[in-house]
Parts: sequence; structure tokens; C-alpha cells
Amino acid sequence: MSQSDIWTEKYRPSTFDEVVGQQEIIKRTRSLVQALNIPHLLFAGPAGTGKSTLALIIVKQLFGDRWRDNYLELNASDERGIDVVRQKVKDFARTKSLGTVSFKVIFLDEADALTREAQQALRRTMENYTNTCRFILSCNYSSRIIDPIQSRCVVFRFKLLEKKDIEKRIRFIADQEKLVVENNAFETLYEVSEGDCRRAINLLQATASISPNISGEMINMIAASSRPKEIKVVLDYALAGDFVNARDKLLDVMLKESISGVDIIKAIQKEIWDLQIEPEIKVRLTEKTGEVEFRMIEGSDEFVQLQSLIASFVLAGQGKAI
Amino acid sequence: MTTSFVEKYRPKDYKEIVGQAKAVEIIKKFLEEFPKKKALVLYCPAGTGKTSIVLAAAKENNYEIMELNSSDLRNRQKLEETLKPASEQKSLFKKSKIILMDEVDGVTGTDIGGIPELVRVIQTTRFPIIMTCNDVWQSKLSPVREKSIIIELKPLDLGTIVSVLAQVAEKENVKKDSQFFKQIAIKSQGDLRAALNDLQSYLSGEDIFVDITEKRDVEDTIFNILRKILKERGDFLNLFDTTSMSIDEIFLWLEENIPKEYKNEALAKAYYALGNADRFRGRVYSNQSWRFLVYQNVFQSAGISYAKPYAFSGFTKYERPKRVLKIWMHNQKTEKKKTIAKKYAKFVHCSTKRIMRDFSILLPILQKTEVQKQLRMGEEEIAFLNN
Repeated sequence: MSQSDIWTEKYRPSTFDEVVGQQEIIKRTRSLVQALNIPHLLFAGPAGTGKSTLALIIVKQLFGDRWRDNYLELNASDERGIDVVRQKVKDFARTKSLGTVSFKVIFLDEADALTREAQQALRRTMENYTNTCRFILSCNYSSRIIDPIQSRCVVFRFKLLEKKDIEKRIRFIADQEKLVVENNAFETLYEVSEGDCRRAINLLQATASISPNISGEMINMIAASSRPKEIKVVLDYALAGDFVNARDKLLDVMLKESISGVDIIKAIQKEIWDLQIEPEIKVRLTEKTGEVEFRMIEGSDEFVQLQSLIASFVLAGQGKAI
Repeated sequence: MTTSFVEKYRPKDYKEIVGQAKAVEIIKKFLEEFPKKKALVLYCPAGTGKTSIVLAAAKENNYEIMELNSSDLRNRQKLEETLKPASEQKSLFKKSKIILMDEVDGVTGTDIGGIPELVRVIQTTRFPIIMTCNDVWQSKLSPVREKSIIIELKPLDLGTIVSVLAQVAEKENVKKDSQFFKQIAIKSQGDLRAALNDLQSYLSGEDIFVDITEKRDVEDTIFNILRKILKERGDFLNLFDTTSMSIDEIFLWLEENIPKEYKNEALAKAYYALGNADRFRGRVYSNQSWRFLVYQNVFQSAGISYAKPYAFSGFTKYERPKRVLKIWMHNQKTEKKKTIAKKYAKFVHCSTKRIMRDFSILLPILQKTEVQKQLRMGEEEIAFLNN
């Protein structure tokens, strides 16, 4: 357990035994580590299900106290361009590993944020340094990782954590921090975190910063502050026929709260059924919403696609659908 | 190969320059009085004689010309390597020289430090620097403006172009009536180079029927493009070829201005088309499949144009795209938030983007003094968080 005051770090499991959920994956990676040799790994799965944690456990188990010397962590969604990645990888891989293990480990988080070209380049890099380096890649969708990379990796698919897993971890932390957690709070935590353990722990800590007695209502209150609640305002403008204000408001919300287009879409999709419009039109709007979400994942411009969706809402406000 | 009329009949001295008497006077004076002012900017639409004037000035004074045009990368380093030594040393044969920087408005964001270096060179140069550009009033050029004499060249008038064309035709031993020259001149819209090129192509293709009433592809302004797509109903498939503005930039202008014309169903259809254009644009970028540009082009022109049930009339004032500016301004404002998120992200093995998204939940955690200490936050960052 680290000495941090940030609970996601303080309570980040540092051994295989501490991890909740993903038992099959734990079993297999544990045996790989015991052989002191790992292939390239690809961790695919939703956020907060233990991908980074497992990568850290692997290096800690492999290298012991010297893990920091033999481990490089890069986040593909933050590093601009493959050149940065390549340079850092090169610099890191040039020197020999310290200790008994003959390779170093590079953890490339959110590798699905890399473009195809960047991935092609990465594939070469992986080959060039395969003697001195092992790569662990993480991604949300393995479909966004090109086949040649997938075929060079052993792929592990992380599942969303179950309610009992998250509850177990939260109970443990609550005990350590001497919190009183009401029963309905576990339920709420699980719901609002959607199986994302990091989010659940953050919510717990944020709530605990107000009071050591944690209730479901309090968690809801804290969680609501992060929900794009102003989406309703955007949709109301649109339904009233005011496209320009709707889109200005939308851009505002996205910028101010740093909310991604996909999160906006999720909020809109939930909102549709509470709107005062014909059910038939709701269905058509949902179809359009789904299409827009798909296009975003495919790589379209989020704001342009959302504008197109809002224009459909303007029409829906008049009882029509495109 | 025949030489082009443009080169063949390029003015050799000040006398032969047409329609720009005032500019010639100023340049003359600038070169005589050098180094009173060290640099001069010529700005004007294409084909009004920028290059010709500079070449003539060099010939008159027996100067050499050292030219840097937009095809060279003009960042700080490059300028330091080439322009700076040139501005300090005499050329071979001890001739004096004019340094010509063509199209300085083309010094772009990728030419990092280009403009400041240019200003430094202007201050120290031993030779006159002449710059040309289409738009001198861009804010990035303001330091250059302060240090330079500025001359605007006007588009040439019809009579001037007609008389040049007639003279050239005479020298080429061709007889045409004045109506013929006038047609070409009208079409050129004040661009003498275009007119000469047209003349040459018509004269060389005598046995081919040439429709000289066809309009030449002049640089269409973005406002004309918007008017066509948003007001009229038409295919407009080649519309974007008539401007130097990139298709993506036009995209932003359309995105901004569609609601000024379109309402309701037409609005939804227009954005549907724009959304499709964007989708193919995304594919161009993600797969480098330039082929998909064709589809972006169609949706962005015909797709939007036909989204309306009938042509619109009246005058509409279109606006500059605001989105990019807004995002930029916002980024300026959230710079603090970002540096905090970055520090935190590194500590918790997570991407900055995700932290930015969850910032409101994390705020109470980030406000803890111990956490702030652990993340080595600066005073400003702490002040930002506690506010």
C-alpha cells in the first residue's frame, strides 16, 4: 500500500491476490510472471477494470524494488504523435535492463487512441526492440488495434467489474479509512460508476471529504456534479426551434466541463425518452443518435456530428423526422 | 517550347510597367534613400505586377535579386541560415542586391519563429528587402508592417489591359479586333498575367473554336462560395477548385453559416449532408484514403445546396467560423486546469483527458493539502483549485 492521500493510488492492488474480479486473467498472467518471461500483452476492456493495475503488478512482481528502472509508461492519448512515442521508446530501450530479467517493460496505455499509421509504426518498433523490451498495450476496444499488432500480442479481455467485486473493494477501503457506509451507498456507487472501480473509489473519497458517513443520496449528489445536466437545456433550445442557441450552449458545455462527444451522446440518448414528443419520433431520434455515436467512434468530428443531431431535434420539435 | 507571353513581354524597366505609376515612384525613392527604411511590402491581388515591378527595379539599378518564395520552408532556423548571411554579405562580383521575400503571408504556423526572425533581419540588413503578399493586414504581419513601407497595388483597369494585349498581339503579328481584347480583359478581372495567358492560348489554338465568353477561374472569395452553396440550388462540384482556401476551412465556414439561411427541414438536411461530408473526411484522415475526398466534396457542395427546397434570395451577412476561436480561447482559460490534470494523471497512471472529464468529482480530492504537496503543485495551481 502506498503512502498517497489519493485513494485510487493508496489502495491500488500491488499483488495478484489483492485484485478483485478478472480471476481468469489473473491466473494466466501470474503463471507468465512466475516463468520470468512475458510475451507482448494486449489488455482490452472498459475503463476502471484493472488494466493499468495489472500492468503495474506484473512489473512489480518481475523486477521487485527496481521496477521503476525497468518500466516506462506512456499514454497514447496524451502523447502527441507517434514520433514522441518512438523517441521515448527508443531512448528507454537502448539501455539494458537492470537486474535478473533480461527485458524491460513498456506500458502503452490507451493504445487505441493511436492512428492506424502510428500503429503501423509501433508495430515496427515492437519488432525492433523485441529482445530488450516487452510491450503491454491497453485499449478500450481491441477492434481499434490493427491486426498485425494483435497477432503479436497475447490478448486479455477485461470484463466490467461485477457489483460484488466493487462492493468488496469499497468495503475494504471504508474499513481502512474508518468510514460508515450505509447499505444503499454500495448500490448507488455501483450504479453511478457503471462498473468502473476507479470512478467508484474517487466518488467514495470525494463524498468522504464532506462526511465520514456515506449515504446513497450524498454519492448521487456528488456524481450529479459531473453529469452533463445542461444537455437538457441544449435539447430544449433545439425543440423550440432555436438551433443557434442550442449549438452555442452545446459547445459551452463540452468545453467548460471537458465532456467528450461520446458522453454527450450517452446523455442525449437517455434524455430522449423523457422529452415531450411523439414516441415514433423518439424512435427515429434514437436511431439517429446511435448512428452519430457510431460515427464518433469511427473517427468523425464530434461537434459536427452533434450539430447534425441537434438539427434533427429542431425538426422533432415540430413533430417531424428526417 | 515557346516562351510564355508573361515572360517574353515582362517589363524590362520602370517605363514599361503599366498602371502602377505611383508604386514605381515609391519604390524608386525607397531604393534611393535606403537604408532610411529597410524594407517594403507590396500587397495586391494576383497578377497586378508585384514581381514585374521588383524585377524592373533590380534591372534599373543593376542589382541582383535574391529570392525566397513560399516553396522554401521559412522557419526561424531556415531564415537564419539563408536570409541572414545574404543580408550581410555582398554577392559575387560585388553587385548590390535586393532581397525578395515572396508571399510573406504564406509564412505559416509551421514556420516557427519565421516572422520574428524576419523582423530581426530587417533591422540588421545591409540590403533592401522587398516583400510581397496578398493580405498585409493579418495580425501576424503587424511587426513587419511597423518596420516597412507599405504599397498597395490596385488591380489593373480594363483599358490598360486591353492596350497591353493589343501591343503584344501586334508584336506577335496577329490581327484581332478590339472586341476580342476587351473580352479577354473583362474575363481577367484585372489580372494581367491571366489575360496574357488567355491571349496566348487563344492565339496558339487558332483552328480550335474557343469560347471566350467562358468565365475564367478566378479566386472566388469565400463569401461567393457560401452564397452559391447556401443561396442557390446546384451541383457546384468544382466550386472548391476556384479558391485557394482548403476544403476543410470551407467546411468550417459552412458549419458556421448554414443556420443563417436554412431553417427546419432544410436545416436538418443540410447538417445531415455536412455530417456525411465530415464522415468521409474522417475516413480520409484515418486511412489516408484520399479517394474519399470525392465524397466529402459532393456532400459539402451539392449535398448542402440541394438540402433546400428552392433557391433563397436576399442578402445575408455571413460570419467567420467561431468554433476554432472559441476552443482556442477556452484552452487559454483552462491552461491551469490542464497542468493540474496532467500532474495528477501521471501520478494515477491515467490519461489527462480522462482526468479533465472527471475533474469535478476529483476536485475535493485535489483540494487536500497533502495531495497538493504530493503532486508538487505551484502556488497558482493551488490558488486555482481553492477558488
